[in-house]
Amino acid sequence: MDRRDFLRLAGAGIAGAFLTQLRTPLTSATTLASTSSLARAKEASHPTFVVAHGPAVARNLRSALDALGGISRFVSKGDIVVVKPNIGWDRVPEQAANTNPDLVYSMVEMCYQAGAKKVKVFDKSCDDPRRCYVRSGIADSARKAGAEVKFVDDRNLKQVDMKGAVLGKWPVYSEALDCDKIINVPVAKHHGLSRLTMSIKNWMGVIGDPRGKLHQQMDLSLSDLARFFKPTLTVLDATRILLANGPEGGSLKDVRTLNTLVVGMDQVAIDSYGATLFGLKGTDLSYLVAAAKSRIGQVDLKKVRFTSIEVT
Amino acid sequence: MANLRRVSQVIFILAFFFLLTRTQYSGKDEISYPVKIFLDLDPLFSGLLLLSSYSIKPILLLSLITVGVSLLFGRFFCGWFCPLGTLHNAAGEVTGKVRKTEHGLYSRSLKWKYVILVAVVFSGIFSMSLLGVLDPLSLTVRSLSVGIGPAFEFLTRGIFDSVYAHAPRAIWRVSEAIYGVLRQYVLAFNQPHFLQATLLGTLLIGLLALNLTRSRFWCRYICPLGALLGVLSKASLVRLRLSDACDECGKCARACPTGASPGIKDEWRKAECIFCWNCVETCSKGAASFGFASPRREEGRIDLSRRAFLWSAGAGLLTIPLLRISPSLTKPHPRLIRPPGALSEKEFLRRCVKCSECMKVCLTNGLQPTLLEAGVEGVWSPMLVPRVGYCEYSCTLCGQICPTGAIKSLPVEEKRNTVIGLAFIDKNRCLPHAFNVNCIVCEEHCPTPRKAIIFEEARKAGSDGKEFTLKLPRVIPELCIGCGICEYKCPVSDEPAIYVTNINESRSPERSLLLSPKK
Repeated sequence: MDRRDFLRLAGAGIAGAFLTQLRTPLTSATTLASTSSLARAKEASHPTFVVAHGPAVARNLRSALDALGGISRFVSKGDIVVVKPNIGWDRVPEQAANTNPDLVYSMVEMCYQAGAKKVKVFDKSCDDPRRCYVRSGIADSARKAGAEVKFVDDRNLKQVDMKGAVLGKWPVYSEALDCDKIINVPVAKHHGLSRLTMSIKNWMGVIGDPRGKLHQQMDLSLSDLARFFKPTLTVLDATRILLANGPEGGSLKDVRTLNTLVVGMDQVAIDSYGATLFGLKGTDLSYLVAAAKSRIGQVDLKKVRFTSIEVT
Repeated sequence: MANLRRVSQVIFILAFFFLLTRTQYSGKDEISYPVKIFLDLDPLFSGLLLLSSYSIKPILLLSLITVGVSLLFGRFFCGWFCPLGTLHNAAGEVTGKVRKTEHGLYSRSLKWKYVILVAVVFSGIFSMSLLGVLDPLSLTVRSLSVGIGPAFEFLTRGIFDSVYAHAPRAIWRVSEAIYGVLRQYVLAFNQPHFLQATLLGTLLIGLLALNLTRSRFWCRYICPLGALLGVLSKASLVRLRLSDACDECGKCARACPTGASPGIKDEWRKAECIFCWNCVETCSKGAASFGFASPRREEGRIDLSRRAFLWSAGAGLLTIPLLRISPSLTKPHPRLIRPPGALSEKEFLRRCVKCSECMKVCLTNGLQPTLLEAGVEGVWSPMLVPRVGYCEYSCTLCGQICPTGAIKSLPVEEKRNTVIGLAFIDKNRCLPHAFNVNCIVCEEHCPTPRKAIIFEEARKAGSDGKEFTLKLPRVIPELCIGCGICEYKCPVSDEPAIYVTNINESRSPERSLLLSPKK
């Protein structure tokens, strides 16, 4: 190889590297989808959220969605859907530290019934992700329902400007952005700093480290997250709730079985209702007050139309 | 036969590598492959256990196979099976075989390995294990899993990551498919990082490089296991025969990797021979052959004079006070956090063979080799470094994998209640305590069902003048098990504001911290 050849080759290589840097800007299809579905909700006069109570989690979910106008209102044919449960902890389902695996199964199943092309399930766990995925039962149940279950691959954390009050550029998991719909499926439980962790706090599982820093400005950061990740649908799992020693729990004495789901679109209102399951009001949670203040949703349940259904 | 031996070596080294890559969490609480079987076959381990604790782990009875083969047939273990021996052969292929005839002939310096063996055995009888540092299987597993393996992964990941980051889609789609397979079957879940990776990796490479001076340098001069098997093979039944066709051309001696003097009548050294069949293969006259024969005294001899024996034993004994005058036993390093299930420090050091299997299998990469934290005696034994990785609450892999029981295999319930240290808050660095900033990430991650980190609330004035509730963390020493997740997750990421030291560990009752009324 002479010098000329070398330079030509090197030049081509550098040019190629530059071109690939221009590859696929992050699309935020989720944002569009969710705002329009919110708008449609008002038109069709569906309730903002539905509380479904009954012994079988699958039927609870189905009934709640029916009362909201059916899953097809949220998931369209050919959609790539992210179902985001809480798989944060190396705990078994009875300990109520993670989302109920049966609920994840049903949620994935229903997405496919609505014609989804692919459903992805993941969470950036706090404990060792391998153990969390296995012991939560979620990897197994989601795979059985046909979902793609992968660990969060740190290479796919992309620096994104969240344009929030405190969160500027932050690593965000690109699979949570490169999808058509995102469905938040958190579990309702106790949390030391924020008192309760439900829908809004579940978004901490799709961003990268240093996540712990968010604790310093919990209220504002959670508002920023909720504003950034507008979900198509939120399914708050209160099948079992963790009353103390959260978010990890461990003792079955701290768990109460409520067999309840709160399903809808306004994540602030849903969390506000979730607070009542613990004997609190939404306004007791300062991050919900902050979120309501920045018009992410309604914290005052009197101003929200919701229905409660008993499922047999 | 030489080719058969090569096949055997290839099969066993592949099995060895396969099991080494499988030495990690596989989705079940129990380890599913017999990942440490190569270590179980090492008779020095069972010997050490017998000497140090007068007990034996049933699995280590497998080493009787090695003993039996050596007693009956000779050092086939070294030539046909030993992964370090095979690596030496491979290194020999790389460095090329420029050998002189005298390299294949017995020389007195070969006795050094017996000196080492005697020193190891005598220090072992009197309670000190020097074995871990010198055992060939320990050494191989340690250098590969702590040094060379992670370096190999680093390289592999680097290549695939840069292809993924920079190459066009068509190319990275292919490379990612390959990478996916590698990640599933070969690579660890996360890139491992080890203290002393460089030292331990270089050590193995250095030992292999000594092939340049003599083939199988390690096996000739150092290996205590080879020495033991040499001693055992004294009365074995396979012998090298030389027929009258031998014209003493010396080819066989040049082919001999261990200096067993194959080409001189009645000079062949059984204790040095590893039955590689090179001499038979290389002999153009067909004069050399192996066959069964009743043992002869002179071929099994080992030139270790009584004087040398006594000197070696004495040296072994002398190392005991020499190493034990270090204060590390009476005043342990505060950061020497042993894995849960580790025996009391004295017992632990007697049994630990520094094979690093526990470090390899550790989910979080938190178990790291010591350097001098446990004294010279404890070099390369495991300690938890919470800044690198914490002890996962429901994981019991390290105890399961320990070949000698230095770390007990605990039922998960017992493991969760085993205290390995205690967390302390550095209030000068802790955000709520030092700067009135809310945080309590430590409390959030604390895994005990009743949290060992709680918080107290205080009303404070914020920088904007408004009052807010500040949550100030505090450790409950009766509940803390020292797992170190608080230290690992502490957002004060350089010198953490909460850190674990080994006081209060359940294996040393004399070091419990607080005096509390009996229940």
